[in-house]
Amino acid sequence: MVDIEIKRDRIVIRYKGKKWDWMIEPRYWRNAIVWTCVLFVFPLVAYFVSPGLINTMVTANIYAAIAIPLSLMTVGTGRINFGPNFYVGVGGYTAALLSIYCGWGPLTTLPFAVILSVFAAVIFSPLVIVARGLYYVLLTLLLPLLFLEVTFIYTGIFKGDVGLFGVDLLVQFENVKLNFIMAAYISTGIMLLYLLIVNKVLKSRYGLIMATVNDDEEVAHGIGVNINKVKILSFVCAAGMIGVMGWFLAHYFGTFAGITYLPLTFMLKILLVFMVGGRAQVFGCVAGGYFIAFLEMILIRTMGQFQPVAFPIILLILLFVLPSGEGLFGIYRKRHYREYLPTIHVRR
Amino acid sequence: MSELLKVSNVTKRFGGLVAVDNVSFSIREGETVGFIGPNGAGKSTVVNLLSGYLKVDAGEIEMDGTRITKMKPYERTHLGLSRTYQIPRPFPELTTLMSVITSVLCGKRRINQSFEDAAVEATQYLEFVGLFSKRNILARDLTFYELRMLELARALATTPRLLLIDEVMAGLNPAEAKRAVDMVVRAKEQFGPTIFWIEHVMAIIVDAAERIIAINYGQMIADGTPDEVINNEAVIEAYLGKGWREYA
Repeated sequence: MVDIEIKRDRIVIRYKGKKWDWMIEPRYWRNAIVWTCVLFVFPLVAYFVSPGLINTMVTANIYAAIAIPLSLMTVGTGRINFGPNFYVGVGGYTAALLSIYCGWGPLTTLPFAVILSVFAAVIFSPLVIVARGLYYVLLTLLLPLLFLEVTFIYTGIFKGDVGLFGVDLLVQFENVKLNFIMAAYISTGIMLLYLLIVNKVLKSRYGLIMATVNDDEEVAHGIGVNINKVKILSFVCAAGMIGVMGWFLAHYFGTFAGITYLPLTFMLKILLVFMVGGRAQVFGCVAGGYFIAFLEMILIRTMGQFQPVAFPIILLILLFVLPSGEGLFGIYRKRHYREYLPTIHVRR
Repeated sequence: MSELLKVSNVTKRFGGLVAVDNVSFSIREGETVGFIGPNGAGKSTVVNLLSGYLKVDAGEIEMDGTRITKMKPYERTHLGLSRTYQIPRPFPELTTLMSVITSVLCGKRRINQSFEDAAVEATQYLEFVGLFSKRNILARDLTFYELRMLELARALATTPRLLLIDEVMAGLNPAEAKRAVDMVVRAKEQFGPTIFWIEHVMAIIVDAAERIIAINYGQMIADGTPDEVINNEAVIEAYLGKGWREYA
């Protein structure tokens, strides 16, 4: 059975000849606690100052919660998936269809959205083994676009051009603003949960093994890494996590339309979050998500009809100006050097 | 000494070119076997076949009685077969310590080993090859000699029973080459792996190896003690040349 031993500075878990050390380091918790508090206080402040900001915050959380698993997928497979929104579509349509045709609530549709996303990822997982480089990019890019075509072809089921209406809402209070606040807390909770899980995985032995696959698959194979297992697992798990965001979108808005989430525009926003925040940096995804959601909102309010032009131009300039591959989070890490490079202080 | 590796009638073709032609040999536990041949003879191809990077077209490879011919590279590593590369292939974005930790974690299975335990074990290998002070340096920032040593540490950390070394001296200056060769000899003394060593510098391999196998055009032309091989007419004709001792 699982043997758990609590020591002064760590929790030691033993199971079937395997051992995990979970280091407890309260001295590093300050930033995490401060930022979590900020995220949870923000909707309350926005409620009184400008309720529209709550919606922007939900959008930012959605961007971040899609980009975080995408980071895991990128590190674990050594390839950048250009169609993460495909799994948003699978999760969203599963939740919406089950809610409309079976009358199921959000909690009932959630496991099915995850299962279908995982199932779709398992079907397409051979891509991470057989395709690389431009071929992988093109194949993953095509998936959401093909799915979009399917929603138009079978418009009787998917209502391709207008989307599905009448999905059960996530929370249904009489006060609409309260609904927004609850949605903000749920989206923040999902985003923080993803951040915690993915950060923990990437800092563990599994993260290190993924990093070797990312660096040189052939050599990783040679030192004993089952690279196919690592790639497929990280691909499938991340897809399941992205699928949950499709479920969230369907139940948050009460409607789901492939035309909103499957085209290139939505995919580009996710990839920009991923790049501007810092390529495959989990904390960078949060920074990128908030930056892009709020930039978009500010430009809509200040530039009106010029927003669709100004938004991509500003982002393109940022991509050039920011340190290559390191993004916004890279700037922070360079100033706070402690964990810029992974180091281990060996106690002897 | 028991037989650790047995290669029987192995053939590898690349299109019309037969790179390895019906090669058979065996390696006993604890031996240091040199593997020599002119450029393009098929030495690295044999190492790639043994480590599983290339598929064998015909023939069988057995390790300690287990058929490994169709096993994947990671499965062979778990059985105790490890290799270094002719041109070092580090994980450029990982620190030296992290690279070796991965080998400890993924090599031969250890019971009850956490990530932190693996880090402590990895430091032993880094100390052995003289890279402990560079444990937190990214592999891409190491010198060529240090990369060679990192490769050795990474291979040793998988606790191999058979270590395939592909030209440890290539690209090193004479002083570094001597240190590298000493390191391989010390590694054998300290960790006890059987060594299958490709090398071009005859003076080194004749001293270090207990047995030498020579190939040319993918075919085995000699297998015996260093004295037997360097005096073999076919080896002198194909590889060493008549006046090789003057330049060795």
